[in-house]
Amino acid sequence: MKQPLAWLTLAFSLGIIAASRIEIPLPLIYSLSTVFLIFSCVTFKKRILFDIFLSCLIFSLGAVLLKNSQELPKCHIHNFVYYRNEQPYIVKGYINSQPVSKNNRNSFIFKTQAIRAGNLNYACCGNILVYLRSKKELCYGEELILRGNLYKPQHTYRDYLYNQGIRFIMNVKSEADAVRVNNNQGFIVKRLALWLKRKLEGIIFRYASLLSAAIMDAMVLGEKRNIPWFVNNAMMKTGTVHILVVSGFNVGIVSFIIILFLKLIRVPRRIRFVIAIPCLVIYCLMTGASTPVVRATVMAIVFMLGFLLKREPDIYNSLSVACLFILIFNPRQLFDIGFQLSFTSVFAIVSIYPRLKSYLGIESLKIKYLRLLIDGCLVSFSAWLGTMGFIAYYFKIFSPITVLANLLIVPLATLITLCGFSLVFMSLIFPALASSFASASELLVALLIKINAFLARFPAAYFSLP
Amino acid sequence: MFTLTREERHVVLFLITIALLGIGIDFLAKKCLPAKSIAQFNQELGKIDLNSADKELLMSLPGIGEKLAGRIIEYRDEHAGFCKMEELKNIKGITESRYGKIKDYLIVE
Repeated sequence: MKQPLAWLTLAFSLGIIAASRIEIPLPLIYSLSTVFLIFSCVTFKKRILFDIFLSCLIFSLGAVLLKNSQELPKCHIHNFVYYRNEQPYIVKGYINSQPVSKNNRNSFIFKTQAIRAGNLNYACCGNILVYLRSKKELCYGEELILRGNLYKPQHTYRDYLYNQGIRFIMNVKSEADAVRVNNNQGFIVKRLALWLKRKLEGIIFRYASLLSAAIMDAMVLGEKRNIPWFVNNAMMKTGTVHILVVSGFNVGIVSFIIILFLKLIRVPRRIRFVIAIPCLVIYCLMTGASTPVVRATVMAIVFMLGFLLKREPDIYNSLSVACLFILIFNPRQLFDIGFQLSFTSVFAIVSIYPRLKSYLGIESLKIKYLRLLIDGCLVSFSAWLGTMGFIAYYFKIFSPITVLANLLIVPLATLITLCGFSLVFMSLIFPALASSFASASELLVALLIKINAFLARFPAAYFSLP
Repeated sequence: MFTLTREERHVVLFLITIALLGIGIDFLAKKCLPAKSIAQFNQELGKIDLNSADKELLMSLPGIGEKLAGRIIEYRDEHAGFCKMEELKNIKGITESRYGKIKDYLIVE
């Protein structure tokens, strides 16, 4: 077996799933894990027994990690909020995400540090989601004192926020209820990344029209807030909405641009990879470190490290490292739809696509363009097969048009993304050329929207499920 | 199943032992450390500083419009800031009742 990490990840994920289904106290699973650890040490030299106990150990470790993440410390904000008391709460802390501003309302994740509960003040911890009515521009890391009502989110949104480690929402009704402490507490690298993102967004919106800029902003920087709802809806129907987020493809382009640039200035090969790794981390932070980007970044870093350490990289192992990396930080991500779609689509592509390719004998085709076309179809079909179940379950939609739509939309999206990156790059080196890239992207965006709308109107393009 | 080499098995067991130890300590800290009350988190919290607030922030106070906010800033600039909150009453348009409504939201630093 060349992929030991794949098995470890599978056992770990199964442990997380089991712990979410079974009510079992943490001390009990913890003791069980310790027993498995001792047995693994005792059977160290007996390969089969060691493998069995190691599997059990990894399984129980997943369960322990999930249960521990569900345990809240005594200082957690959850312990200071009384549901029947509707008086406004006062909390102190700092902004822990890039604030999103829309219609004079800012929303952001707020990391709490202190709360006033009754007449007493306590040091506290935990994240809350804040909606603040304010025209002011806020930024990541800013320390604030807020006054507002705290409440629990409802139903499915509650589950989503819970998976992100957020238990409460705070509504701050006016600017007077938000005071700046003039202290910046954020992680300096993330602050730098978000500053860079604002600058790049400025460039995109300066040269392109609002719709094109919104689409490029989503594809290049992962910022979806300016995308009109009708574009989003149409792409949802054709199963191509995934192009509106930053994914592994974008990480690949960024790696390519960095490595190409370093190659042009004659940087040695190994140093190129050493420089590219922190640049990818900054890009990951710029795009909000969503699951697909973290996955792609970790996979790219594993590949580069494989080269640096002179080891042959394996796609399943690097996918497993990315999965473990995300789950160790937050095991509840396993239940997040973004995580499930991102990993199943990549897994489906790397496992189904090569089998289909060899089964159909694509390699023996002599016409190169036909081979490329069928290849594209098979990749799209594999991803569709892998994610179909999740999409039907979560979005209640079944889109047979997805395979055809992806075949037409993905190349266009690729060109738009490349145009977006080129626009940013050119505006820094040759600003005079930037408008040409902006015009090209306008044409491509118009084409993308027209084709998508045309496909969505096809008979039996999509079915809404009950 | 895993086909790990001897060294890899050592590394895996070492990492798992450290992870288990770390989780155990984290769990104990969550259960045993009490919530700390703090003193400096006091009445001044969530109030607007009259000496640094801009026009928009002052306009968010109840009963303060654009004109009145402008007059407050004018007064502040003329007198090199407020020494005490009662000075607000010297401004045209801030009556006793209006002052009563806004004083709880303000602070002079």
